[in-house]
Amino acid sequence: MAFIEIHNLFKRFKDVVAVNRIQLEINKGEMLTLLGPSGCGKTTTLRCIAGLEKPEEGDIVIDGKPMLSKGFVQPSKRGIGMVFQNYAVWPHMKVFNNIVYGLKLQKISRQRIKERAQQVLKLVGLDGLEDRYPSQLSGGQQQRVALARALVSNPKVLLLDEPLSNLDAKLREELRFEIKSLVRRMGITSVYVTHDQAEAMVISDRIAVMDSGNVVQIGTAQEIYKQPANRFVADFIGTMNFMSGEVVEVLRDTDQVYARTEFCEKMLCQTLDSTAAAPGSKVYASIRPEDVQIFTEPPQAAENVFKGTIAHKAYLGNFLYFFVNINDTLIRVQVAHYLPQEEGQELYLFLDPQKCIILS
Amino acid sequence: MTRGNSMLAAFLWLVIAFLVLYPLSILVVESFKITSTGGWGLGNYLEFFRDTYYLKTFGNTLLLSSLVLLTTTVFGVPLAYILARYRHRGKTVFTALILLPIVLPAFAGVFAFIIFFGKYGTLNLLLMDTGLIDKPVNFIYGHHGLVFIQSLHMLPFIVLGLSAGFTNIDPCFEEAAEVEGASGFRRFFTVTLPLCTPSYLAGAVLVFLWPFTDWLTPLILGQVDFLPSVSYINIAYHFTDVHRKYMGIVAVVVSAVICISLFLLARWGVEKKKYTGLSKGTTSEGRVIEPSALVKSGAYVYMVFIAILVLLIPIVLGLAAFSRRWTLEPFPTYWTLENFRLILLESPGLVKNSFLFSGIALIFGIAFGLPVAYLIVRTRVPGKDALDFVITLMLAFPGIAIGVSYLLAFWQDIPLAQYWIIMPLALFARRLPYFLRMAHSSYLQLDPSLEEASEVSGAGKIRTFFKISLPLLLKGVLVGVVMFFIMAFQEISTAIFLYRGGWETLPIGIYLNWHRGMEFGIAAAMAFLMIVITFILLLIISRIGGGVLKAAWGAAEK
Repeated sequence: MAFIEIHNLFKRFKDVVAVNRIQLEINKGEMLTLLGPSGCGKTTTLRCIAGLEKPEEGDIVIDGKPMLSKGFVQPSKRGIGMVFQNYAVWPHMKVFNNIVYGLKLQKISRQRIKERAQQVLKLVGLDGLEDRYPSQLSGGQQQRVALARALVSNPKVLLLDEPLSNLDAKLREELRFEIKSLVRRMGITSVYVTHDQAEAMVISDRIAVMDSGNVVQIGTAQEIYKQPANRFVADFIGTMNFMSGEVVEVLRDTDQVYARTEFCEKMLCQTLDSTAAAPGSKVYASIRPEDVQIFTEPPQAAENVFKGTIAHKAYLGNFLYFFVNINDTLIRVQVAHYLPQEEGQELYLFLDPQKCIILS
Repeated sequence: MTRGNSMLAAFLWLVIAFLVLYPLSILVVESFKITSTGGWGLGNYLEFFRDTYYLKTFGNTLLLSSLVLLTTTVFGVPLAYILARYRHRGKTVFTALILLPIVLPAFAGVFAFIIFFGKYGTLNLLLMDTGLIDKPVNFIYGHHGLVFIQSLHMLPFIVLGLSAGFTNIDPCFEEAAEVEGASGFRRFFTVTLPLCTPSYLAGAVLVFLWPFTDWLTPLILGQVDFLPSVSYINIAYHFTDVHRKYMGIVAVVVSAVICISLFLLARWGVEKKKYTGLSKGTTSEGRVIEPSALVKSGAYVYMVFIAILVLLIPIVLGLAAFSRRWTLEPFPTYWTLENFRLILLESPGLVKNSFLFSGIALIFGIAFGLPVAYLIVRTRVPGKDALDFVITLMLAFPGIAIGVSYLLAFWQDIPLAQYWIIMPLALFARRLPYFLRMAHSSYLQLDPSLEEASEVSGAGKIRTFFKISLPLLLKGVLVGVVMFFIMAFQEISTAIFLYRGGWETLPIGIYLNWHRGMEFGIAAAMAFLMIVITFILLLIISRIGGGVLKAAWGAAEK
């Protein structure tokens, strides 16, 4: 049994459906990320778990206890820790009082509270700052206070709502790893909300990609990157070349098909989902820029070799982007090393049939 | 908690129904009563609008409103621009001085200017002494005096709104106009001013409505042919003359209807014209420019001129308060504390009543206003917007209308008006918007996640309110509390209809002293005392709220 189970959760705001009957299971000790563009329902889902929103339908079970079906459990009684997007560190309390606020509500001795606070302060690297007011702290430090406050009472569940989005890029990256190792060390089941795919991939054990109130795909970072469930997921995570077309032939006893695309009559592609592969179905043949191979002479491969001209190229330091024009379709190619070819020159592209996937 | 919220909403609605909706509906119903037949109908209104005298009164009021609006606009626009855009020394002091009339009782200005600008007032006497004129000039008795006094009193509403508008405009709009080649006046009239229409409109409507509300200034200046003054005289002095009483009630209803409709119209206009959403964040200071020396000195002269006019009020009243027998002399010659002795020792009831009634009203205001602010900002209880709406409308309601309606509603069936509690209740109902606005805006600024973080940490709603929300709201709420108190302390338009022997407050005392033609110094001393008390309260606000400027801002939120 999963530690957190979300059954058929439905939440609307007036006429807008924010969460559309989603199912989700989060295992004990796991860090699951809800990833999606703004308005996809990820924050609402998180707030439903916290008890800050009351869903219209469905149930949330945390550690075997239903939060909704047997009467609404108030947020204060759910045993969760939460880090808010804007930190929500109380400006009228010193760091220490911010952190021990929840502990004081439990019957714990003063001495114990102090010890626990010191432990957590050390854990998040704030020791020595307990007598400061939040206004005397930097954004990153306030973020750590919020994290310490969420962790201090050893919650069963840790919820993080875009906790890093208000920080600058460098700090954000640093804190990603820090939060990940901290949470893993403490073994807390946690749900992390973000719209930043890189953050999601670094931090989570599994990712649930959400779109317009639905969970579109759940899986590890690798699964989601390599085998996206549909065009939305592939587009949202990483970069992808989409070539719209239609399945023309399904190869028996393999999971390969031929597709006709906007620039060629026949392209050999891999199917991830056999249901979409009936002849005549409209699909996208898709390939990641780094999977496209580039040749100056025609390569030996039998299939999927196309001739094109370089429309433009861009240098990004650790790699190059070539935008190659094949019959008026631009294919983005990521090249790891420097190539001398200039704009306007001809090239051969090999779209590896193993890497070229069919998406609906 | 949803059920709890609904019960709270129901209770608050009950209070509003009893203290606002019920008396006001009685007022309207009464205006349709035909006394000769005992029936109901439009008769009173027909009579009112057929009578040339009342029509003239109506026209006079409209004319006065237009003139006051014109004057405040002409003087206010440059003033607001100087305050908002020019870098100059003493900005805080000048702003505070120019905004001062907001918190001064309207009648204080009238008395001060009568003493200073009257036929044998200080200015005329000085001018005659120097031989510049032979006969005294009539500075204030007449329409021009009314326009002057009311304009000075209402000028802050234009200045406040506009200077905030000038400050808050995203500088990029003006920069874009500059790049396009529009400079100086052209830019000001084509870009800056139009962008500020919402802020102007919000202040302008209050200015325009003032002559429909202010009965006292015309009365003291001997100009009674205006709607509010006529209503007051008809109802307060001629209640035995049934015809005049009903004409008075009709006049009150007509003024109230005009006030409410214009107020709503302006609100709608402000909403429609809000441009703020178009810009990204602005700097807090806005565009501040360093004007040329010539412009700068001109600006100083202008600001000093207005500031002196404002300062005349406390200075002249102070002179009158500490003296006796100040007639036919430019300055008093006989100094005494007798006036204050009379007020504080002979009739201490006035001061005591003022504090008592305002204080009780204040307690009602907090007990009622905080829950309302909570409901409006934090919940989705049905009917909360209507609640907000009704309370906000009280801003536009003439005090006379509330006084008269309380008198009609709480006399026979519910004889509340026979007990002194009616005084604080009326003050509470009339001034509630002041507190509510402030509580409302501080609640809006309070990030909900601060409260949510507390709930997630294991604290219940009540604990969260007292540990997190209240301490964080306190600043804004305290400013609101003090503003409410100042406004309740000065209230006269409603109270004048409700007081009975022994319930007189300071403003009523001032009016009665003037009216009975007793020693003028006592009235002046009372007004001076009120100014001093107001000033002390303002100092308290500026301590909590950070600057007199912000304190005054609170008042402008109305």
